[in-house]
Amino acid sequence: MKTQEVVFRILRFTPERDEKPHYQTFHVKIDKRMTVLDALENIKHEQEASLTFRRSCRSGICGSCAMKINGLAKLACKTRASTEADKQGGVLVEPMGNMSLIRDLVVDMSEFWREVDRGTPWLVWDETLTGSTKENLVTNEQQQVSGKLADCIMCGCCFSDCVSRVFDKNFNGPASLAKIHRFVTDPRDKEGVKRVHELVGMGLWSCTHCYFCWSQCPRDVRPVAAISALRVLSFNSLDPSQGMHHVNAFMDSVKDSGMLNEATLYLKTMRWTTLRDFDLILKLAMKGKAPSPFRRPIPKIEEVRSLYRLILGGKEK
Amino acid sequence: MKYAYYPGCVAKSGAPELYESTARVAEKLGIELVELTTASCCGAGVVNEGDPFLDLVLNARTFAIAENMGLDILTICSTCQGVMCQIKWQLDNDAGLLAKTNEALAKINVQYVGRVKIKHLLWALIEDYGLSKLEQQVVKPLKGLKVAPFYGCYILRPAEALQFENHEKPTSLEQLITVLGGEPVHYEGETKCCGFPILFVQRGTAFEMAATSLNNAQQKGADFMVTPCPLCHISLDTYQKKSAKKIQANINLPVMHLSQMVALALGVEPGKLGFSKHMVSMAKVLSVL
Repeated sequence: MKTQEVVFRILRFTPERDEKPHYQTFHVKIDKRMTVLDALENIKHEQEASLTFRRSCRSGICGSCAMKINGLAKLACKTRASTEADKQGGVLVEPMGNMSLIRDLVVDMSEFWREVDRGTPWLVWDETLTGSTKENLVTNEQQQVSGKLADCIMCGCCFSDCVSRVFDKNFNGPASLAKIHRFVTDPRDKEGVKRVHELVGMGLWSCTHCYFCWSQCPRDVRPVAAISALRVLSFNSLDPSQGMHHVNAFMDSVKDSGMLNEATLYLKTMRWTTLRDFDLILKLAMKGKAPSPFRRPIPKIEEVRSLYRLILGGKEK
Repeated sequence: MKYAYYPGCVAKSGAPELYESTARVAEKLGIELVELTTASCCGAGVVNEGDPFLDLVLNARTFAIAENMGLDILTICSTCQGVMCQIKWQLDNDAGLLAKTNEALAKINVQYVGRVKIKHLLWALIEDYGLSKLEQQVVKPLKGLKVAPFYGCYILRPAEALQFENHEKPTSLEQLITVLGGEPVHYEGETKCCGFPILFVQRGTAFEMAATSLNNAQQKGADFMVTPCPLCHISLDTYQKKSAKKIQANINLPVMHLSQMVALALGVEPGKLGFSKHMVSMAKVLSVL
């Protein structure tokens, strides 16, 4: 089989020896079948025995070999080395982000597990079902939702590449929220939607929809979609958040004019905190750029409003 | 080239300079834009969190309007592009959902078939107009200017729905900057989030996101940043001073809308492109041209 020599640039860090991480370059002959994990094993066996990384199943099931490959978190065992080399001209291998570095490509995942644990990631059994002579059936429809979320292998790729988590340590991250949604949608769980009420203070509204968690998930769990679904469920929360005000204001605006009214959206979401941007609003007004709070409805607005009535019916927000 | 033009809410309100400069680009390149005046807001991913089905049906209505005109949709906002592509992708791959959507649309005598394509101006310039043809139209090349492309999120991810370029290593903005005579500058953060979606909810986090990317681009020597999204523009330009303060950095990086950059290179007078509406002055950039 045809081989090519590829340059692997790998982040190295030995805490007993190095003050800070550095990069080491290795040349590896690879063929089309080899994964990044195969290449790392090759380096470890033939060039640098001290190179440290986690791995186990080699089949994309255990989630151990998650690391940054050419800047994005992936499973090394599921990533073809030649594809990466062709795309970027070489393969840059680094430890996952948003977690502290222990050694070489190994990070401290306790931070990730702590966040997952915050969401009570287990089934809280509904004791009224105990002793029932009937099976506790889960319908196909219910299984389609929670089953997909249960595919998560807790590799940490989504947590690693979550842009919000970099700056907001109160945000429990995509995997944790996806796991919560998995139990919220499980009919055997006693907590059900009650779980969502606790989320408001846990960063439910910190997700920016950057879609990195969707793109980097090796199991196609799509945590961002789970987060959006949790937000929909949070509308019955006793503790309305600014995020809910934002959604409500947005929905009202589209119903009123068919379009987003930036001025009213801003005022209804920010409320008294609008004052913090008073200087900016003044400058925008002087530049003729401050959006008007009066927006003329689009032609045929009645079509939009009748769809609102049809779909939301009595539950209009 | 003729499109059903969907400028989006922001270009029609808080970013009029984007609307104006797109009109100038279309005029110069002979692109006919038939505005979808009866279309509603795409929902920006927010209506989806109020009621996902309503969001779906409102967008399907927009698609149907364009289909009835026999035209594909052209957007100038990455957020509109991303939201609409995702919804179209869902509908085109789920016959049950499509039927349910059309059942709702039947109440207003509308039907979505699935013919329409949705293209951001960036994609249309590359796929439909052609970059080599565009290069021939450049009369005022961006020579001597280092340009930082800011893709953001919605025009790249999720790749399954957008299906235009490799989200891991996008090149569309780089290609465009190059044919317009500028020099693309790469920096950490060009495909990350600008922070806008949480600007009203988690302000500090949003500021740090925007400022970090701006700072990285500035440190790589960029003369200005360019974005295909007016919401990113709000984060990156309107709030630049406040976000820079948040990370205690001295940032002064002008940010152009994609249409403004193209229009400039096509020889449109800068005075017609609304740069005076920006918070960060474009004077230094314009003095180079």
